[in-house]
Amino acid sequence: MAVTGGLVLTLRGQAPDDSRLQVLQNVGLPAVDEGLIEGVRRVAALQDRAAASGGRSLAGRVIVKFRDEAAMPARRAAVRAASGTGEIAERPSYADFDIVRIDPSEDAEEAASVLRQRPEVQYAQVSHRVHALLVPNDPLYLTQQWNLPLINMEKAWDIQPQAGSAITVAVIDTGMAYQNATLTATLGAFRDRNGRLYPALGKVTIPYSAAPQLVAPTGASRIVAPHDFVNETATPFDFEGHGTHVSGTIGQLTNDSIGTAGVAFNVKLMPVKVLASEWDLLFAGFTNISNTGGSDDDVSRGIRYAADNGAKILNMSLGSSGPPDCAAKPNQVDCSPVIEAAMRYAVGKGCFIVVAGGNEFEDTVAPYGKNPTSVIAEIASRIPGVVSVAAVDRSKGHAHYSSTGSYIELSAPGGSELDPGSTGFIRQQTFDFNFTDTFLAPPAQFRAPRFDIFGYIGYIGTSMAAPHVAGVAAMLMQQGITDPAVIEEILEKTAVDLGPPGRDNTFGFGLVDARAALRGLGLAK
Amino acid sequence: MTANRISVGRSVGVGLGLALCLVAPAAAQDPPPLSVRPFVMATEQSFAATDTFDAAFGKTYFPFFGGGVQVVINDGFFVELSASRFRQTGERAYLSGGKAFKLGIPLTATITPFEISGGYRFRLRQLPRVRPYAAIGAGSYAYQETSDFAQAGEDVDTKHTGYLVNGGAEFRLHTWFGVAIDVQYSQVKGILGGGGVSQQAGESDLGGVAARLKLVVGR
Repeated sequence: MAVTGGLVLTLRGQAPDDSRLQVLQNVGLPAVDEGLIEGVRRVAALQDRAAASGGRSLAGRVIVKFRDEAAMPARRAAVRAASGTGEIAERPSYADFDIVRIDPSEDAEEAASVLRQRPEVQYAQVSHRVHALLVPNDPLYLTQQWNLPLINMEKAWDIQPQAGSAITVAVIDTGMAYQNATLTATLGAFRDRNGRLYPALGKVTIPYSAAPQLVAPTGASRIVAPHDFVNETATPFDFEGHGTHVSGTIGQLTNDSIGTAGVAFNVKLMPVKVLASEWDLLFAGFTNISNTGGSDDDVSRGIRYAADNGAKILNMSLGSSGPPDCAAKPNQVDCSPVIEAAMRYAVGKGCFIVVAGGNEFEDTVAPYGKNPTSVIAEIASRIPGVVSVAAVDRSKGHAHYSSTGSYIELSAPGGSELDPGSTGFIRQQTFDFNFTDTFLAPPAQFRAPRFDIFGYIGYIGTSMAAPHVAGVAAMLMQQGITDPAVIEEILEKTAVDLGPPGRDNTFGFGLVDARAALRGLGLAK
Repeated sequence: MTANRISVGRSVGVGLGLALCLVAPAAAQDPPPLSVRPFVMATEQSFAATDTFDAAFGKTYFPFFGGGVQVVINDGFFVELSASRFRQTGERAYLSGGKAFKLGIPLTATITPFEISGGYRFRLRQLPRVRPYAAIGAGSYAYQETSDFAQAGEDVDTKHTGYLVNGGAEFRLHTWFGVAIDVQYSQVKGILGGGGVSQQAGESDLGGVAARLKLVVGR
């Protein structure tokens, strides 16, 4: 099974020149949705939701339909026979039945049972609690998306069916497939990472489509203030697929019988492009494609832009390696005080920020050695209202790549390719990389890309873990918690502890629990 | 809250002291050797768990309604049994940095105290219609907490013992009717503090200070 990157991208300097790329916005054919890419094993259906939620009723009331011929004295006598405290309440509007109020400590079911035996009563029942029981009908949700039940999303959606509709989430990433367009570009010759020379293609026309499960045909208003800091435009097209995939985890259209589900599936999305892909480099005329990624200055500008343009949650599935002591010595090599300043600015404006914890647990990065500190995640751990997120696999174990350290604060599903078959990936709709990553083919087969063919692609990484937390944070903010530091505190306190008791360097405070976070606390429990 | 409690405690102490100074021998009105006196009662309780109640309900004092019966022996010693009930709907919440953050999820708390106390009714030589009294006792406090979206075992239904002390005065309006006003302090441990907002607040007492108004029937 081929798996696209899905990894935290490293930040490197860019010198883009987009003069070669022409964009005709909103012009283009509809996207092609290829469905699930790669064969996958089906997993057992989820447990019976009704049984899991249990039958429950409201205390202190019984619903009674008296027979029309029963006079009020007879009705009262029936109620008294059923409950010493029972009283017939004033009939509510739009009801052909009555509510009998009883003491909440009385057994409502027993009272209803007694009433049912009375000749004056046509029927009597307890008042069952009724609420949404959302199990998304997106077909791949049940078969592929182990990650959402793992963080208790179904019961979180019951609590908040709006799923973040009032909140804007900025996706600070490679851009987003949010708009149809027809692109024309002049592609010159270039060398790939291995030094192979690829031929110039000259002027090419490239189809580009919005991801149909991210932006519905009538849902353009979902996209807020898009911006591209790589190419300095207002059209942050994703030419990589990473940002589109991350956006899907945050807010994929859900319960529409198509594809996969997203966490906060009604949020507004703000695409903020700060990471360049190979195609950004080629469209800008670069002659090699090794310098993908972004820069500290673009990232910090993206953070400030998002904060200034109405985003309340910022997802940053990106990172870079550096020394472990940037807090004490922020001006040393590979620290990022400019990003720290931008984060503090955004939090000061009421933004909650989620940062990927890093994918280098098994990697050695000179001069920092194995499992180096993820600099931006380390900054996150020092700012209340910014949280760093490690990745777990589908069995809630440490994802083999997920960086560890004192800066890890939370965990969320990031997936693993080590699970049997292809069951361990995080799947969302994004480009079919067979049509976009043509620069991976031999030079003789190199052709222009197509950004209008989509599939449900499996990614892994802390890049995938972070947007789970961003989605839950958006729902928490919609629930009324607007202070970023309090959001972080709640997410950490309600997380399911993993690993050694208490916070640890692998899982932080544990696996985010969407239901627990949204439901809050009672007086005694 | 602590300051309020001390203030109320001082007031009660001063009142009781004054009453004790003015006590007089039993009036010569042939009181019955045993008097059974039912009463209805309304109270306003200021809960000791101020942060907890403020987080869920937006305030810390609430009414209880109930009633009971007093058995008075030789117009002096008495035993009182009472039952009352508090029920309030608020919201589930979090506490952070001393501030409450509500979540819009309904929560209903019900407290049902069953209390027994014993005490003494004093006589004021110059105010025969006024009968100061003081009592101590204990109670069984049933606590129920329900909220939306609860799963099995997440609602609370428990009962714990608490202790109380009260003091006040009864004003005889008629041979067969009186009005009593008193202040009661109760302490109920074991219900709050183990979880929820009360644990966040570090509060474990479900009791508090209550001003009680009783309408008493009987001599």
